[in-house]
Amino acid sequence: MPGFVFLLSALILAGPAAGRVRAQDGPTGADWPHYGGSYQFWRYSSLDQVNRKTVKKLVPVWAFQTGIVDGGLQATPIVLDGVMYLTSSWNRVFAIDAATGDEIWHYYYENPRQIGIIYSPWNRGVAVSGPRVFMGTLDNYVVALDRKTGRELWKVNVEDLRQCGCNITGAPLVVKDKVIVGVTGGDSAHRGYLTAFDAATGRLVWRFYTIPGPGEKGHETWEGDSWKYGGGATWMTGSYDPHLDLLYWGVGNPAADFYGGDRRGSNLYTDSVIALDPDTGELKWYHQQIPHDVWDWDSAYECVLLDLRVNGRDRKLLLNTNKGGYTYVVDRTTGEFISAWPVVDNLNWIEGVGPNGELIGRNEPVLDKAKLICPSIGGGRQWNQGAYSPRTGWYYTTGIEWCQEVTAREEEPQEGMNFFGGVFKLKEAPGVDHHGHLDAYDPLTGKKHWSYRSPYPFLASQLATAGDLVFSGDAEGLFFALDALTGRKLWGFQTGSGHRGSAITYSVAGRQYIATPSGWGSAVAGLMPQLWPETEDFRAGSTLFVFALP
Amino acid sequence: MIWLLLVLAQSSPDPDLVARGEVVFAQSCATGYCHGSAGTAGRGPRLRGTGLSRDRILEATRDGIPRSAMPGWEGKLSGTDLSAVVEYVWSLAMDTREPPADESMPPGTGPAVFVGFDGPEHVSRGRDLFFDATREVRCGTCHEAGGRGIPVGPDLLALGDGLQASLVGKTRSRRSSHVLRARLADGQDFAALRVAQEEDRVQLYDLTTIPPVLRTFLSDEIQSLAEDGSWEHRTVSAEYGDDELRAIVDYLAWLNARKSE
Repeated sequence: MPGFVFLLSALILAGPAAGRVRAQDGPTGADWPHYGGSYQFWRYSSLDQVNRKTVKKLVPVWAFQTGIVDGGLQATPIVLDGVMYLTSSWNRVFAIDAATGDEIWHYYYENPRQIGIIYSPWNRGVAVSGPRVFMGTLDNYVVALDRKTGRELWKVNVEDLRQCGCNITGAPLVVKDKVIVGVTGGDSAHRGYLTAFDAATGRLVWRFYTIPGPGEKGHETWEGDSWKYGGGATWMTGSYDPHLDLLYWGVGNPAADFYGGDRRGSNLYTDSVIALDPDTGELKWYHQQIPHDVWDWDSAYECVLLDLRVNGRDRKLLLNTNKGGYTYVVDRTTGEFISAWPVVDNLNWIEGVGPNGELIGRNEPVLDKAKLICPSIGGGRQWNQGAYSPRTGWYYTTGIEWCQEVTAREEEPQEGMNFFGGVFKLKEAPGVDHHGHLDAYDPLTGKKHWSYRSPYPFLASQLATAGDLVFSGDAEGLFFALDALTGRKLWGFQTGSGHRGSAITYSVAGRQYIATPSGWGSAVAGLMPQLWPETEDFRAGSTLFVFALP
Repeated sequence: MIWLLLVLAQSSPDPDLVARGEVVFAQSCATGYCHGSAGTAGRGPRLRGTGLSRDRILEATRDGIPRSAMPGWEGKLSGTDLSAVVEYVWSLAMDTREPPADESMPPGTGPAVFVGFDGPEHVSRGRDLFFDATREVRCGTCHEAGGRGIPVGPDLLALGDGLQASLVGKTRSRRSSHVLRARLADGQDFAALRVAQEEDRVQLYDLTTIPPVLRTFLSDEIQSLAEDGSWEHRTVSAEYGDDELRAIVDYLAWLNARKSE
């Protein structure tokens, strides 16, 4: 089966030819202003003080402990003007002197004692804009804090946690005067949406439902009342193109995850990338990767905005890797399909992707009978984000070789309750050691230039720099730098707990710093003992390590 | 509480309850990132072979575990299903064998073990309307009732006996005795509910948009806070018809009666 996948991929990929990269807005400089680094979500910095030659001298300069190890440390810090903004599980926010590690202020949000849903207790970061810091909470509020003091300015409920079974763990995105937040709940009987609040007052500006209601276009892709409980969570953070003035966001799986008999149709806009007018929330285009998903393959991960030459023509592109293990490249002006390529070898839910992006040879779970599906619900790749370097022109991301036995079940939706429509049990891919890998790809064709292997899934994001380095961390606690050109490991530092967050780089007073969260935990880390029993004993942690040249 | 007595009266897992519990477990506990099929651990703790006591399992299942993802299932599962799942987990706890590979799901056990609202049929419509997620603005956005909803506005149950007579009219009325007009030093001006006022800061709900925003101001940011009848509750209740409001009143009256039982 995997052989066939590659054959089909090769057919598609024979089409577009990768070209050189023009100057773009993607790189960060002294600051790390947005969750994805820049609005374009490259997770790439133009800083090159730390480079292939100097990286061996990198030493730790400070560490910051959040005091909460539950759920690991999954954040991406933001750095602006020498101040770092870091969050931990249970919605702690810290402002830290980015050169010394001294705390400037902290804000501990008061959550209810019991969250009671599976999307907790982690938080993946804040957005910082103007005089304010914004965070979504475990009990489904958005709070705005004074950037100088941490004082709470406003707080607004997005939807009652006790009703919707949904909350916010992803970082908000600020576009102009609005703070835009996604919501979890894709595995619950819940109808997803994206919400924009006025950054100054917290007042609701718009809400875009990822599942169209009665009378709206696309509603006909849902059967009966299934639209009310159809998932479509927006649990990660989007991107923004200031020139096109378009907001991009990935939309998660339809619910029930594994059983679609009650929601026949393509189930728009689940498993789609959507482009919205950031001022009004109006849908400009969408591209659905997986019509009628029955595998829990979110398309909710990051949208990387790239300008590349395709078949002799400059194109504005958007790259999005889904949980099913496929990377899709579309035109970000129109949503037109350009190419698709897999990030894993073991993938049997489809035989391939056709020349127009259509799925070929669907292999669906069946009712009340276990079936081997690859990859597992944890994803061919997890949410931890890739990085794009304009110097190599390559996209660096991870893949996990693992499978699962899925048994679909009919379930009655009950508002706000889990709505998986089945159960799963992790399994090895037939004849393959389960493992993880970090790879360098041509972003357009998926041609793999090198691969760096781990016995465990990589659950930390990648960071690429103009020093031609790719930083990431592994499950065993090692934070490392790879040569962006060869994948060779050049440096490493054992942080003492596995990596589940996103490293960043920034500079203060001309000195480049590399910061990485360290702290094992999360839902997927919790699944791993099914295949890697020893990981049940992996130590939790929640510490940010910061490195620089001496 | 009959189910509780039943459980306590037994000394070893009841096979019928265990069988029922296995179904409940598969749909409510094994799913997703939680306890894994047959309790072999997902993200939640492994349950098989733990040796946990039935009392501990009952407590955690019924009440949840604070500061964790484990919810209390009382009210979410029917009493029978709750006792059945406790019995099943207890049987798992005493079982140190690995489940056979093909045991991941009992075949053909059928749909729907969740029970919804367990109140009487005649008030369920009112509850559905109160929390109707298909409406942008619904009662539960600003009022708490029956353990749900956001307590921004007054506790409707505290309105007591006069509720039935007055609520339909109240939601249509122009004036509200609670709502103030806040004027800020920077010229902003909005309908507000006062939440807290301390020496140096004032906390208000800004009612300009729904959901209301809880805003915290330094005292000198506020120019004035005065009574002002211009805010109209009917702007937020317009989506409900009189007939629907009466159904909601029935639900609230039932909650009230249950509260005083």
